[in-house]
This record gives sequence, structure tokens and C-alpha cells, in this order.
Amino acid sequence: MAQEVTRWRHAYRWDLDKTYLDTRFEKFGELLRIPFQGAEDKVNVPGSAALLRELTRAIDGQADSYVSIVSGSPRQLREVLEAKLRLDGVTWQEFHLKPQLKNLSKGRLRAVREQVGYKLPLMLRSRVALPATLRETLFGDDAEVDVLVYSLYADLLCGRSSGEELDALLKKVGASAAARQRCASDLASLEPSGSDREPVETIFIHLDSGSPPALFAPFGARVIPVFNYYQAALVLFARGHLDVQSVVRITAAFLKADRCGPWELANLFQDIARRGHLPTDAMETLAIGVQDDSAGNEAAEVVWNSAQRLLDLQGMVGPSPQPDPPPLDYPALLDHLKSSRRAARRARSKSESG
Amino acid sequence: MGGDHGPGEVVAGAAQLSLRREDIQVVLVGDTEQLAPLLDAQSYEPRRLSLRHTPQWVAPQRRSREALDELPEASILVACRMVAEGQADAVVTAGPTGAAILAAERCLGRVPGVRRAALAAVTPTELRHGPRQDPFALLLDVGSTLHVRAEDLVTFAIMGSAYATAISENPRPRVALLSNGSEPHKGPSEVVEAHQLLLEMKDIEFVGNVEGLDIPRGTVDVVVTDGFVGNVVLKMIEGLGEVITDLAADAHARKFLWRLGLNMLSSGMKEIQSLLDWESYGGAPILGFTQPVIKAHGRSHSRAVGNACKVAAKAARSDMAASIERAMRRMPRSGSQSG
Repeated sequence: MAQEVTRWRHAYRWDLDKTYLDTRFEKFGELLRIPFQGAEDKVNVPGSAALLRELTRAIDGQADSYVSIVSGSPRQLREVLEAKLRLDGVTWQEFHLKPQLKNLSKGRLRAVREQVGYKLPLMLRSRVALPATLRETLFGDDAEVDVLVYSLYADLLCGRSSGEELDALLKKVGASAAARQRCASDLASLEPSGSDREPVETIFIHLDSGSPPALFAPFGARVIPVFNYYQAALVLFARGHLDVQSVVRITAAFLKADRCGPWELANLFQDIARRGHLPTDAMETLAIGVQDDSAGNEAAEVVWNSAQRLLDLQGMVGPSPQPDPPPLDYPALLDHLKSSRRAARRARSKSESG
Repeated sequence: MGGDHGPGEVVAGAAQLSLRREDIQVVLVGDTEQLAPLLDAQSYEPRRLSLRHTPQWVAPQRRSREALDELPEASILVACRMVAEGQADAVVTAGPTGAAILAAERCLGRVPGVRRAALAAVTPTELRHGPRQDPFALLLDVGSTLHVRAEDLVTFAIMGSAYATAISENPRPRVALLSNGSEPHKGPSEVVEAHQLLLEMKDIEFVGNVEGLDIPRGTVDVVVTDGFVGNVVLKMIEGLGEVITDLAADAHARKFLWRLGLNMLSSGMKEIQSLLDWESYGGAPILGFTQPVIKAHGRSHSRAVGNACKVAAKAARSDMAASIERAMRRMPRSGSQSG
């Protein structure tokens, strides 16, 4: 076990569609196209590949990052998706895909769409094999219920939620008795981390469907809604996961490929600071770090200007959100998320038709 | 961050605009403690939306001059300063008109030759205007300057004509003075005098006087009057639109036959309703300043705020203020005009 503790510096768990890949399947035509796409046809969510590459970059004297990908895509897409990840220069330790064909052939239609009963057991099983002290950062999106799955997972690891609560939720979403049994047994076999720090450090939710950030406030400060991965990179810099050069490289990726100019990036910078996720001291460190490079390096200049612009103005950096969320009522939150999504869909279609 | 409905509607309007228009950047100027939670409850695109904090703002019941003297960081002053310093291209406000005009005077300054600013509004008309066949004409002043001289009316005519040329792409808009008769000698002395002055000006297409009934007809593209009359006319048109809608709703509820008739006329009714819907026209430009200043209606909901921002973007892109400046330079100088 001592050897395992030093093997990984941090675990990053990623959802794939709408979190890492900009997959569109809202319309029937889009859904039909997916099986015929090659690796080179797959499109990234802006900055996802650059961020994951920086998070897994080898650092002298430090252990490697552990990457786990849990996707709701069918297993038949494994070859294409792995090729895509390799094209992006990304490495991973786990890559789970959903047995959709099996679900369909056995008439388990609910299981085709259902995410809670699919992801939670996989994550718990994965955690059992990892060192108890290893901390995690999770990446999901607002299209499904990633925030709920991840928050419950985090609460289970730190003991804030119990096996009974897990079982109640799994029962509510129609998980099979076998899956519930597996979860209970994996949860029971998890070792306590023995640390005051919670095993799950941050949950990033990519706002793919345009949900308002306030929708995620009930989940507490652990959950950070981000509009893209430039914002996530800034938070991860503030939390010591990325160095200044990584932030500059990610900024350069946005400037090059993702329809973001200096003004847009400055606005994204302001937005994440305003929401209290980028403290002033981190901004100062970042500004000092890029100062020397800011002459002649556009990305460094953008970061420097964005930080300096905010540091010069009063009242633009929001207070950090309250660290400890209240005990969460997961079944009620599941209903809340689903009804919010339905309302948002209705509003979108009304606005599009109007 | 003013407006009768508070900052919520302004924030919602800006948020919706950020999702729909990739070519417009919005900066919300106000108290971030108040604005941030309102914004976080909205869907928005942060690449095109940012905040600028200032804790001060002008309450509608306050005297504008006194309030701006006491509040150097009032949101309207900060917004105007940002435009003056090139950090933004236009100001949009749903706050008090007086404060907007004073702040613009202090921070942006008037176009040389303009003694008084004019608030211009579009009014729905029966006839169409310009190459785009717009269903509205421009009416100014609608509340900025209550007491005018003849020279002010002439300036308003020049500014209105330049605005219609720049924004409605109408190469030669027809301009008229509002009076109580079409004859040149009809109306108050300043209108009679302005009539004579405008007849001598070759740069604008002055067609003489028009009466109140010509406004909804739309016989001209630009109607010029003083701020008192203009405001009364504008509010009456707005009120009329609301009354027609209310009457139709009432009739719909009262009798089956009327309901049937109204349903048969529904597409026509909707067209009339949309024509009279002031929220769809966005804000009214305050003409006469070196940069665009757009006044959104105090009662603006989010849609009207978003439309006001679109008007502001269009005014900035078309370099409307520069067009007015050029038109003013061509205006023959008279002894009574001062800058």
C-alpha cells in the first residue's frame, strides 16, 4: 500500500460526452451520425484536451496523475474514442463505456438513459483499488445529473452520506439489485482516508446546456460550474494543480482554436473571479508569474492584463462560497435537477420558435 | 442599473443578449453585490458579458444635478466615463433621463454647435419608411428639452435627419415640424421661426409642418417638436397601444361571437400589437453627444433592454455621432447659436 500512495499525485475523473467531447445528439440526425464518425471527426469541448494534457504532464520528482473516464457512450465506440484520445495526446488509466447494446437487447430501456445507477457503482469500484489518501477532481456537465452523481460519490467517500442514502437513491433510479449490492459492498470495503481533507476536492460542471450557475448552489462550494476549461484552468492553478506555464499554454490554445480573443478571455477570467473561485492572492501570483513573459507572448499578456484589470478595480472579486454544504437530500435534488432541465428545455424551444 | 423594475430586468436583458448576439459585448455597471446573484440565476455567455463595480447609483426621485454632484461614482457617470475613455462604445440606461443627459454632458460632451440634446423615439406608422420599409418614424425631442428656441428645433431636425440616414439607411429622410396646422405661420413663435430657418437649409429634406394626425399616418420620416409636446405624444401612442390590447382581451372574454371574430382577425391583431409594442423598438437615442447614449424606457422589461443594447450597437457601428457632427458642421451659423 505504501508504494501505491506514492504512485499517483491526484485522480481526475472525466465524463466524455459534453464534458470532454462536444457531442451533439439532441436531434435524431445528430444521433444517427455518431456511429459513422471517425476519431478525427470528434470535436473537443473547447480547452478540454489542452487542460487534460496539462493535468497529466509529468513533473520531475512527483507521481503521475490518475485519469479515469466514465462515459455513457456504447462500448462499440471504444476504438474510435480511444483513437480520439490518443490523437489529443491524452493518457488514461481507466476508460469505461456503457453496455448499451446489452441494455437494449435485454429490454432495459431505462438503463439506456439512466446515469446514476451506471456511474456510481463504477466510481466506487474504481476507488476501492486506489489509495485511501488519493484526492480527486471530477469533471462533468449539466446535460445529465453528473453533479448529483459526483456529489453523492464525494459525500460517500468522506462519510457525509451513508450506504442507506446511496441505496435509497439507487432504488429511486431503478438500479438493479445486483448493482445496489455491489455498491454496498464496495462502500463497506473503502478505507477511511485518515485525513481532514475531503477525498473529492473539486467537482467541475461544464455548462454545456446553458444552465444558470446558481442552479448548482445547493451542492455547495465543492461544485464549480464553468463555462469552459479556461475557467477550470484558472481554478486549478489557484488550487496548485497547474503552474503558470500550463495556464499560459491553455490560454494559447484558446486564443488559437476556440473563438476566444483577449477580450473574451478577460471576461471569462472576471466571471470566475467574480463568482468567488479565484482568490486575489492566486491572481497576484499568476500576474507576477506571467509578468516576465507578457512582452511578446500574447497568451501571457492576456493573462497578465486580465489579472491586472481585476486587481486594479474594487469589488470585482467575489467572496469564496461557503465551504461546507448542508447535508444534501439527494432524491429531492434529483427531482429538482430534472424539473429544472425540463423547464430550461421548454424555455429554449419557446425562445427558438418565438 | 435603473428602471422601474430594478436591476433584475436589466441583468436579464443583458444575459439574453449575450446568448443571442455574438457581435455585442455588454458591460453591466453597478453594484456587483446586487448584480452578481441576479446574473448567476440567468443563463448567460460570459465571453460577451462582464461587470463593472460601483456602489453608487442615482435614485429616480433625486434631482439629477445634485445627485451627480454628490455621487461621483454613480453608475451612469462610470458608464459614460468608460465610453469617454474608449473602454466601451455606447451607453444604455433605463435610469432617470435627466441624470443620463447630465452625465453625458459631463463625461462625453456635446457635438459642437449643439446647444441642447434631444431624446428621439420611434413611433409606429401606417406608411413605411426608407429603403428597408421600416414601419416607424422618428419623433424628437420626446423629453430632453422642455423649453426650446427656434435654433434648437433646427438642430433637432439636423440630428434627426442624420440619425435616420445613419441608422435607417434612409439617404434623404423627409423632415417636418409638428404644429397645429400645415401653414408656415401656424404654431408657437419658435416653430414659425424654425420653419423659416429650415426652409433655407438645403442639406435636409424639410417638407414643412405636419399635424398630430400625420404622426401615426407616417407622412414624414422625422417629426421635430419640443420635449414637452413630444413626450405627451409618445406616451399617448404607448397608452393607445396598451388600451387597444386590453380592449381586445376584454372583448375576447365577453362574447363568443366577438371571440370568434377576434380569432379570425388574430394574425392582423398580432401585427397591430407588434407595431404598437414599444418594447420591440428598444431604446431612444439621446442625440447631440459625441458618443451614442441610448435611453431605455423606465418600464423596460428584459426584451426592451436587449433591444436598446442592439440600437446602441448599431448607433456605435454606424458612427452616428460623427454623422451628426458632420451635419452640424454644414449648418449655417447664426448669431444666436452657441456651443
